[in-house]
Amino acid sequence: MVIENENKEIEQLIRDLAGKLLEEKQVDVIIGYTEGTVPLSSSPIVIDKAEDVDKLIWNNLCYINLAKYLVPRIPTLMNEEGQKLKVGIVSKGCVGRALIHLSVEHQLDLESIKIIGIPCNGIINRKKIEDEIGEREIFDISVSGDNIIVKGRDFEKVFPFNEYMNELCKVCQVKSPPFLEDICVGECLENPVIEDDFSDIAEFDSKTTEEKWEYIKSLLETCTRCYACREACPMCYCNLCFVDQNQPVWFGKTTGYSDIFVFHLVRAMHMAGRCVGCGACSSACPMGIDLNLINRSLEKIAKERFNFTTGIDPRSLPPMMAYDIEDKEEFMMEED
Amino acid sequence: MPNPYIPMLTKIKTVVSENKVNDIKTLELVFKKEEDLKSFDYNPGQFAEISLIGKGECPIGIASSPTEEGSIKFTIKKMGTVTTGFHNVEIGDTVGVRGPLGNGWPIEEMKGKNIVIIGGGFAFSTLRSLVVYFLDERYRNNYKDITVIYGNRDSGEVLYRDILEEWEKRDDINVVLTIDREEEGWTREVGFVAAVVKKVAPSPDNAIAVVCGPPIMIRTAVAELVNLGWKDEQILNSLEMRMKCGVGKCGRCNIGNKFVCIDGPVFSLAELKKIPNEY
Amino acid sequence: MEYKILKKDQIIKLYNDLTKDYNFFAPIKEKRNIVFRKITNPEEIVLDYLNSKVPPKEILFPEKDILFEYKINDNEIELEEPKNLNEQNIIFGIRPCDAHSFVLLVNFFSQGDFKDEIIINRRKNTILIGIGCNTPKSTCFCTSVEGNPFQKDYMDVFLVDLQNEYLVEGISDKGKDLIKKLSWLADAKEMDIEKAQELKKQAEESITTKLDLKDIDKILDPNFDHPIWKEVSETCIGCGTCSFLCPTCTCFDVIDENVPNKNRGRRIRIWDTCQSCLYTLHTSGHNPRNSCIQRVRNRILHKFCYYPENYGMLGCVGCGRCVQLCPVNNDLRTIIEKIKKIEPKREEKVSA
Repeated sequence: MVIENENKEIEQLIRDLAGKLLEEKQVDVIIGYTEGTVPLSSSPIVIDKAEDVDKLIWNNLCYINLAKYLVPRIPTLMNEEGQKLKVGIVSKGCVGRALIHLSVEHQLDLESIKIIGIPCNGIINRKKIEDEIGEREIFDISVSGDNIIVKGRDFEKVFPFNEYMNELCKVCQVKSPPFLEDICVGECLENPVIEDDFSDIAEFDSKTTEEKWEYIKSLLETCTRCYACREACPMCYCNLCFVDQNQPVWFGKTTGYSDIFVFHLVRAMHMAGRCVGCGACSSACPMGIDLNLINRSLEKIAKERFNFTTGIDPRSLPPMMAYDIEDKEEFMMEED
Repeated sequence: MPNPYIPMLTKIKTVVSENKVNDIKTLELVFKKEEDLKSFDYNPGQFAEISLIGKGECPIGIASSPTEEGSIKFTIKKMGTVTTGFHNVEIGDTVGVRGPLGNGWPIEEMKGKNIVIIGGGFAFSTLRSLVVYFLDERYRNNYKDITVIYGNRDSGEVLYRDILEEWEKRDDINVVLTIDREEEGWTREVGFVAAVVKKVAPSPDNAIAVVCGPPIMIRTAVAELVNLGWKDEQILNSLEMRMKCGVGKCGRCNIGNKFVCIDGPVFSLAELKKIPNEY
Repeated sequence: MEYKILKKDQIIKLYNDLTKDYNFFAPIKEKRNIVFRKITNPEEIVLDYLNSKVPPKEILFPEKDILFEYKINDNEIELEEPKNLNEQNIIFGIRPCDAHSFVLLVNFFSQGDFKDEIIINRRKNTILIGIGCNTPKSTCFCTSVEGNPFQKDYMDVFLVDLQNEYLVEGISDKGKDLIKKLSWLADAKEMDIEKAQELKKQAEESITTKLDLKDIDKILDPNFDHPIWKEVSETCIGCGTCSFLCPTCTCFDVIDENVPNKNRGRRIRIWDTCQSCLYTLHTSGHNPRNSCIQRVRNRILHKFCYYPENYGMLGCVGCGRCVQLCPVNNDLRTIIEKIKKIEPKREEKVSA
């Protein structure tokens, strides 16, 4: 595997398709990624001219889920008259999944967008690399062969890419967006088949309730409640989040123990059968809280109990939106 | 210097329901401590942060006039958690008060002038304060002609009916009441406030106008005044903003580099034109 | 002698001497982040950190701060001042940019008729033992905002890391008194002071981000409606990272927090952010800053226009946290560069 070549190819694919869509006026704007201004970053970008396609890039730091910019709460993608723009969106697998799920939840009209499918080759786990580097500044990060090269003032370190990828990327089986007729261009997956054994969370799963509790408590300790996780999540589109309810107030707004818990646990509940496993929440967290074990556990429950994988099929209803007489509900009586 | 976030404690003396739908009430408060009453030295147009301890705090314009000694009044519309709390209080309950806050109406600058007071709906409380102040025998001679134009959706929404009737009987103030649509038994004006302003046509000569009400009423009424030749410097507004501290610290009531809580809430139209339209 | 030497292994002794009279706050690694905590184990102190994740602002202005406490017995209500306001604190290892932010914080909270005595008192009771930045980050721009990596004016005591030891300098009277108490500190030699000078020069030169912020308020003031604001807010997702981790942001919300099943509680303030759409939302539903464009603009104008207009200084200390941590890399430096490129409006002639 030579990652930098893959990246070049993906980048060229994005630029070709974006240029074509803009030139043919199939879309008004393209949402994609551009080079970040600090190491370990990338930045979302909106372009509306074919000559700007060279601003679009692909690398393994494109962690933001661009579907976020299409949820109704973010009204920037409108023209001066307030009409919605026709949008082309650079879509790795999890962006495609998010778009499909948003349409299932009636938050997005897929007909009004063009999905530019790309075969994502994984996102670098920034937090893990920063942990390894410690209190030294990273000046440059690049990929070469199957390694990540990190350079700083007096150091250069090499990390194997497949180990220092986001945990969610390691187990991802939907690297390109699922194919949708007339909506997708570029590289997409036709009829994706997902066989997930969830072995990555087997260890966490085998823990006792007390141990899990301790893990979650320790995980969330540093939360400052800036809500970057929520704002980066394409599935968090509520006009008024439960944490912001103030008539009456649902729970406290401090970073005290119980308040943080209620926020994260209720948010987790809201993610059940809805999380598309993009990892944007963890990447966005300034404090470095990695929610992937919680999110993967939810995914597992949705799969095992309801045989549902989020954002694969625009016609299949998620467990929380559908009732079936066969729905397993033994957990209601579960004692453990 | 005391902690500016600690309220003075008062007790509710009277509660008056002000409108037919009963979502506006006036609370009369008396300070528990004599020194607090003395320190609460206010002008019409100022506000206070009033709170139900354990429920929360909100900024409310002072409806009483400093000439009405011994107690203070607040007219509160049931809107959110705290204001709903204020609708469920009983006589004798404790209310926290921090204030007086804000600049208030410029009663010194208004001296020697004709005064036109234009109000709409629920936003009449600090105008009540102002008129009561002007009509006090100690101060009435400081001001020339006083005209009050006060409009409401219907007769059931008119606040302070008793005192308005008293004003109507006096010959040193011209009170014009209006409601949006005709109603049986209503003998005063009918029509929107702006139309009544046009009809009354107050002269801008040596005058100051005070305009308070819902945004659409302010816009239309101010437009009429401008048509009548009023200058921006002569027209005063009182702004409402979301506030928490009321003392220029919590940040949220800023419009440009001004804080509504300490630099306002009273601004002239000329001042408002200099700051961003973020209110 | 004005200059002293603190050996690296003497930090424990320093801590032991000072912790008797002071709450001793210092940078430590908590989870994956450097944060300031009241420490009990001096071995945890990390002094060669780049920048703390959460600024030490949280010591003066905690995320959750008690304004007063209350007891409710039937209808008798008792209010109590917050406790612990007179405790003496030392913040050890604070960086110059963060110490600079304390000046801005105290300035703001001291304005007007209503002074925030809670914060002013805490500052009065806090001694800053700061340390110069030998290796500023590429995102640092303190030299563009009237600071520099060895800015010692806002410290009580200033340290310079000379690799094996620290050069110690008493800056304020309080700081000089403190050093007198630490009589075991060795005197510094001329070469130590020279070395510190050299490190200062190196650090200043290593700062590559140079922003021309002179008169930026005069560019911003007339350009409130410039199309640039749409451009710089397009990708903002409206989280509060930039403001929650900003050493100069001061906005707060106030809530009553009742102790469950007890007739008591406290009115507290918690950090709030102008980047949240709820921040300005009226109960009526009207929202003066309803769009992301308005909110991003407010944050930039607050730091670079309103603060200078009101208090004659910039509202930013150049720590680079917002640059480093914005999840969508909406880089403040880029925004400033774009602002600087705004064509000046032609003076409109006022007809006589």
